[in-house]
Amino acid sequence: MADDSLIIYEEEINQIDSLISKMLKGAEAKCALLVDKDGHLITRQGFTHSLDTTALAALLAGSFASTKEIARLVGEPEFSVLFHQGKKDHIHMSLVGDRSILVVIFDDRTTIGMVRLYAKETAIELGKIFEKIKEQSFDKSKAGITNDFASQAEDKLDDIFQD
Amino acid sequence: MVSINYSSREVCCKIVYYGPGLSGKTTNLLYVHSKVPSDTRGKMISLATEADRTLYFDFLPINIGTINGFAAKFQLYTVPGQVYYNATRKLVLRGVDGVVFVADSQPDKMEENIESLINLEENLREYGYDISDLPMVIQYNKRDLPGVLPIETLNAKLNTRGLPHFGASATLGNGVFDTLKLIIKLVLEKAKRSASDRAQPSVNLAPGSAAEPATPAPPATPAPQVASTDEPEPEPEPMAPYPEPAPEESVPAAPSTVDPVTSEVKDDDTGRLPGRATQPVSVGVGAPSAEATSTDPEPTTYRPYPGSEEGPQDFEKKVSSANFTPKKMEEPDDDDSVSNRIRSSSGGDADVSRPAMAPSLKKRGDNKKRGFIKRLFGIK
Repeated sequence: MADDSLIIYEEEINQIDSLISKMLKGAEAKCALLVDKDGHLITRQGFTHSLDTTALAALLAGSFASTKEIARLVGEPEFSVLFHQGKKDHIHMSLVGDRSILVVIFDDRTTIGMVRLYAKETAIELGKIFEKIKEQSFDKSKAGITNDFASQAEDKLDDIFQD
Repeated sequence: MVSINYSSREVCCKIVYYGPGLSGKTTNLLYVHSKVPSDTRGKMISLATEADRTLYFDFLPINIGTINGFAAKFQLYTVPGQVYYNATRKLVLRGVDGVVFVADSQPDKMEENIESLINLEENLREYGYDISDLPMVIQYNKRDLPGVLPIETLNAKLNTRGLPHFGASATLGNGVFDTLKLIIKLVLEKAKRSASDRAQPSVNLAPGSAAEPATPAPPATPAPQVASTDEPEPEPEPMAPYPEPAPEESVPAAPSTVDPVTSEVKDDDTGRLPGRATQPVSVGVGAPSAEATSTDPEPTTYRPYPGSEEGPQDFEKKVSSANFTPKKMEEPDDDDSVSNRIRSSSGGDADVSRPAMAPSLKKRGDNKKRGFIKRLFGIK
């Protein structure tokens, strides 16, 4: 697990995005985030402009992780679906594959049933894409962090972190 | 684990500040938050108790800018230090790329430091990490307090592996940035190492080519053989529950849910409208039937006008030509008005061209009149 970096390329993100936007239209939800279990945001669709998606991703992943621990304590391997109900907005979280979480934020224009239905179907499709990513990432991981990446970062760090 | 997103061109790393309770992990983050320019950092989130003790974690995202065309983002987490929060502490460690161990330099805290370090190793091992391979920096905090242990003593007890270490005072900010800079550097070096390890055959990407385009589509980063495997299915297989045949044009979503401000969905919206207007038949496959019937009157939904012998086509023609004058209304125009008609019917002369309702009306009128006369004259 320690060396299991998540590397996603553009074509896969496009596939993921189109699946998620289809789901949003079908379920008439507000927005959706795809979050890594580690708290990294993978992608987002819909009306997310007013949201701090980075923090949201970290908190949602934390929420999901703590729920997993609760599940373990009551003798379940994992709760695959999580639902937070609010006054106006609600959040539906469902597990995608073994390391991602599909988060759908919706309001009263739709119903939990619709969201659950579409999220379930989408999670299956996304799971297939992630399986493919897992198989391919070994061949593909040739670029991105190049040799001088760390040294270039160091210069930036000196600029940013000044007492 | 480092998350590399080639679509948004981001490299995302997770750094966790670990250590015993009250050793200054949150203070480290608070100092970073207060000193780093606001465009570099995100909002700091603290899941703390009423007494400001970390309950779950603190979270501070930092974006150090674009390096080689990739936005380098770091997520700084702290863990709750108290022993009994081990369950949540372990959760935060999930997917960690680098650890800063914040030790308390006070003599009476040494035991807690050791305990926390052992706990860290246990938790990492449970996640399957190779501890010797994980970037880690030790920070001996609270150096400003009187009577703290010398660094050599601390090193001897806590740093048996010879990790890089710093003396620090998180409240004053001494050593905070040094620690952070070093752990970021170590994490990036490790990420580079693991990336190049896995790409043994050829590390042939020119860094310049990646650095230039920054925002548009990435250069030919995906290997050609992989691209060819992905190519055949840009739309893999249409999902069962979605009825629309074409994703953009025939979406039956209500327009009221579309916020015109947002560009993402506005594109879809404008793409959808012409499709609906020009091709109502194709929409009919997935769209609700009400829409189809409202736009074009199909023969199946047509109900003949009562009493008219005209077919649907004639009816349609008449409606569209905007001079709709039904036959039925023209016929009684021979009489002057409705009142005229009633007067004539009450007069008793039967008219052949009178509608079917007229005789009964006449009869009823006669009966009424007769009853009234009878009552007037007391006839039974």
